[in-house]
Amino acid sequence: MRRNLMEILCCPVCKGELSLTVTEESGEEVLEGTLRCAACSVDYPISEGIPNLLPQTACED
Amino acid sequence: MLPDQVYSPAEDSELLLRAALAEVRPADRVLEVGIGSGYVAAGLPGRAASVVATDINPHAVACARARGVEAVRTDLFAGLCGPFDLILFNPPYLPTLPEERLDDWLEYALDGGPTGRATIERFVADIGRVLSPFGRVLLLVSSLTGPDEVRELFARQGFVSFVVDEEALEDETLYVLRAMWDLCRMGA
Repeated sequence: MRRNLMEILCCPVCKGELSLTVTEESGEEVLEGTLRCAACSVDYPISEGIPNLLPQTACED
Repeated sequence: MLPDQVYSPAEDSELLLRAALAEVRPADRVLEVGIGSGYVAAGLPGRAASVVATDINPHAVACARARGVEAVRTDLFAGLCGPFDLILFNPPYLPTLPEERLDDWLEYALDGGPTGRATIERFVADIGRVLSPFGRVLLLVSSLTGPDEVRELFARQGFVSFVVDEEALEDETLYVLRAMWDLCRMGA
């Protein structure tokens, strides 16, 4: 995901703001990292450039 | 080659892309919900200010990203706040009984619940949250889904809608519904 995607992302549960932590990037592209909802105390992963904003209780593949 | 677990583009995808190309404006911030293979969104670059796509299926978002589409894995648009000027959705619209379910990722692309409108109902109920004041929605539905019932869902949420494109297939007719805020009713 590009960094400026942050403007249109929100917590899927409370719709509050997310804060971005980057662990791997390439130019403007965030490849690995987390999106944290402080209000819910939940971290949503960014993996291979794709943010996963499924509620953390959802079943995984 | 698409993974088996991703909906392959079919007549409905082509019809939605045709309607989207007729509708999109250069300044539009576009959202495609339920991107599947990325066929529709990948046809739009250069025609809009930005294009973002979502899917609940991990194989679909990976596929879309591989085609250069900005992809977010989420349920409908749960993890997005918008606003968007043009929202496209080719939803799961086939009436499906519980015993007919396949229980895999492809199921999410097809299963519209017993009426065919289960996902569409959730989409319409929340779409106002992410649609800009003059935004437009293009929703693909089938004659099997009950287009009039879908238009009624939009009306109840304060939207006007009409059919902008259609195509008759063997056993069904596909329609693209265009919906936008009913500005006459806003603030009423």
